[in-house]
Amino acid sequence: MRTFNVRRARFIALCLLPGVVFVALFTYYPVLRGAVMAFQQYNLFDLTSTPFVGLENFRAVLGEDRFWTALRNTGTWVVVSLFFQFFLGFGLALLLRRHFRGRGLYQAWVFFPWAMSGFLIGLLWRWMFNGQFGVINDLLLKTGIIDQRIGFLASPGWAMTSVIVANVWYGVTFFAIMIMAALQSVPKELYEAASVDGASRLRQFWHVTLPHIRPTLALIVLLRIIWILNFPDLIYSMTGGGPAGSTDIITTFLIQQVIGGDYGRAGAVGLLILGLLLSFSVFYLNATRFEKSR
Amino acid sequence: MTKPLLAAAVAATLVLTGCGSGSGSSSSGEVRLRMIESLTSPERTKLIKTLIADFEKANPGVTVELVSPPLDSADQKITQILQTKKDLDVLEVRDHTAKSFSNNGWLAELPTAEWPGWSDLTELAQKKAVEVGGKAYLIPYGFYQRTLFYRTDYGMTQPPTTWEELYAAGKQMTSGDRYGYSFRGGKGGADYAVMMISAYNGEALNPEKSFYLKDKRTIFSTPEAAQAMELYVKIFKEASPPDSVSWGYPEMVQGFTSGVTGMLIQDPEVIKTVEDSGVTAWSTAPIPKGPTGYAFQPVGYAGWGATSFTKHPKEAVKLVQFLSEAKQSIAFAKGNSLIPISKQAQSDPQFSQGAWKAYLQAQQDPKQVITIRPVDYPGWSQFLVDSDRDVQALITGKTTVADVLKSWDAFWMDQAKKVS
Repeated sequence: MRTFNVRRARFIALCLLPGVVFVALFTYYPVLRGAVMAFQQYNLFDLTSTPFVGLENFRAVLGEDRFWTALRNTGTWVVVSLFFQFFLGFGLALLLRRHFRGRGLYQAWVFFPWAMSGFLIGLLWRWMFNGQFGVINDLLLKTGIIDQRIGFLASPGWAMTSVIVANVWYGVTFFAIMIMAALQSVPKELYEAASVDGASRLRQFWHVTLPHIRPTLALIVLLRIIWILNFPDLIYSMTGGGPAGSTDIITTFLIQQVIGGDYGRAGAVGLLILGLLLSFSVFYLNATRFEKSR
Repeated sequence: MTKPLLAAAVAATLVLTGCGSGSGSSSSGEVRLRMIESLTSPERTKLIKTLIADFEKANPGVTVELVSPPLDSADQKITQILQTKKDLDVLEVRDHTAKSFSNNGWLAELPTAEWPGWSDLTELAQKKAVEVGGKAYLIPYGFYQRTLFYRTDYGMTQPPTTWEELYAAGKQMTSGDRYGYSFRGGKGGADYAVMMISAYNGEALNPEKSFYLKDKRTIFSTPEAAQAMELYVKIFKEASPPDSVSWGYPEMVQGFTSGVTGMLIQDPEVIKTVEDSGVTAWSTAPIPKGPTGYAFQPVGYAGWGATSFTKHPKEAVKLVQFLSEAKQSIAFAKGNSLIPISKQAQSDPQFSQGAWKAYLQAQQDPKQVITIRPVDYPGWSQFLVDSDRDVQALITGKTTVADVLKSWDAFWMDQAKKVS
């Protein structure tokens, strides 16, 4: 029996090995390498000398106004995107939970954006929001909502709004999928019992649905915050962080360091992002654990 | 850089992207070369493959595997592969990667003396081939040189010859939904500002180190630079679509072909796009000059090079030379709307007629000067990113001409210290 267990453990370990090697190679190694680079002078221009420079790269990054602007923009980008994605996603999930004719088609249509790459979505919206040739301006003009074209991606205020609209369109799907799955896990008996007790639909939602799906909601909100923060693709292809840095977030700022060839500074930005996300995750998980135990 | 892990990562990436066979010699003695391109596009890859097929036919026993990474991450991928010093024989080298690749010892010096094709290269091609340290680390395959495209159906009989004239003509064309000029405010926009500043500095500029004057100050430090930048902002505000603050290459060209704008300054590859767009009333002219009577612009270029660590240096060099010879290079230039590197192309009607005439005209004008941008300075790539941002801040009123020029001047003075 014991031999069998050892053999089984070995077999499982062997099966897991390729996965572990891949994760180590493609996740942990780049992270470690980037972390080391953050303390080196590592400019692509000349890699013949890459001395350790202590905290110099961090000092340089933190001394840049652009970094702080990007950090502020990141807050707006994450909070506003998340707010609309969550509530619209929730609404969609509630609607799609009901049975109606063509529900499958609607579901496919709603989930479609999630299958597209962020970069492609960015390019698509960039043309739609184009001030001269974009379809959004055309629609608004034809319906009489505006009387002159708006430079959606040309003015700093509009540019942030535009990238958030595109991101909301993209991310609603994720919430809709996850919340729909969570809603389906609520036992029907609970509703029946609540109904027998005379609870209205709203009270059923408040006292049955919400408590039941709260742990899932907490988890997907955390995941989504991390993903939105790590989602420069859309902004990069829509505005490149412009105009004048008004849509820069810290991950687009990181890309700019890479394009600039300074991998040392890029490593420093990467570590700062990692630190930010780790601190936030720990805080958030603690807060939601407290919520559960209460 | 630790080699084994990185090598394994790159090898795994290549295997996953379907490029796993690797270069080397097979048991039958056949030589396999691996080649990578940078400015990837489907049509271009197809064209390169036909040229490679011709090479393989002419060199039995040699096969070439072409790796075509996606355009936006190609140079990063090439750099990663070069860092491992493995499995790469021939590569596309661009003007802004040539110095760093050679600095890091990744490129082989190409023999020119015993290669008959060398004497067929134009003077410009020969000059650019040895631009880095006087050694031929690449053979260019063509050049990107800008010209002015203008609509003749928008009341313009003569093209503007100066930036002031361009501003006046653009302003006159601007009314309602139509604008004078396809302004580039997005990625690459700062290059146009530099072009104007250079023209305004005139003879004082050092074309060999074009961000500096002959007296070693930067071109951004002069009152003429401020004058140029003031006009640059006026061109945006009074003669260009407001939306062009974020325009890149596709929007600029679309602006011109759709009739939103009447003028455009761009590379020759636009010629084919404009021809295909159905616009008929248009023409080209050399780029505008400054009040000094001079116009300065760099020529963008890229070319083929061989790695310093190839196991088959003879065959790798042979492939680079084959691609750079008249027949192949002219076919490549035609396919990609490039200014060709072969002297024989001058008698080719495609390069001496119609819209191409403006390029020949510019090449014959001694005051249309080709410059060398400081791509070999360590801060070049960073400047490209930062300066575009500065230009957007300037035209959206977030900063001033004086502040932008001051920061650029300080940056390049600092760079001068690093290089000297």
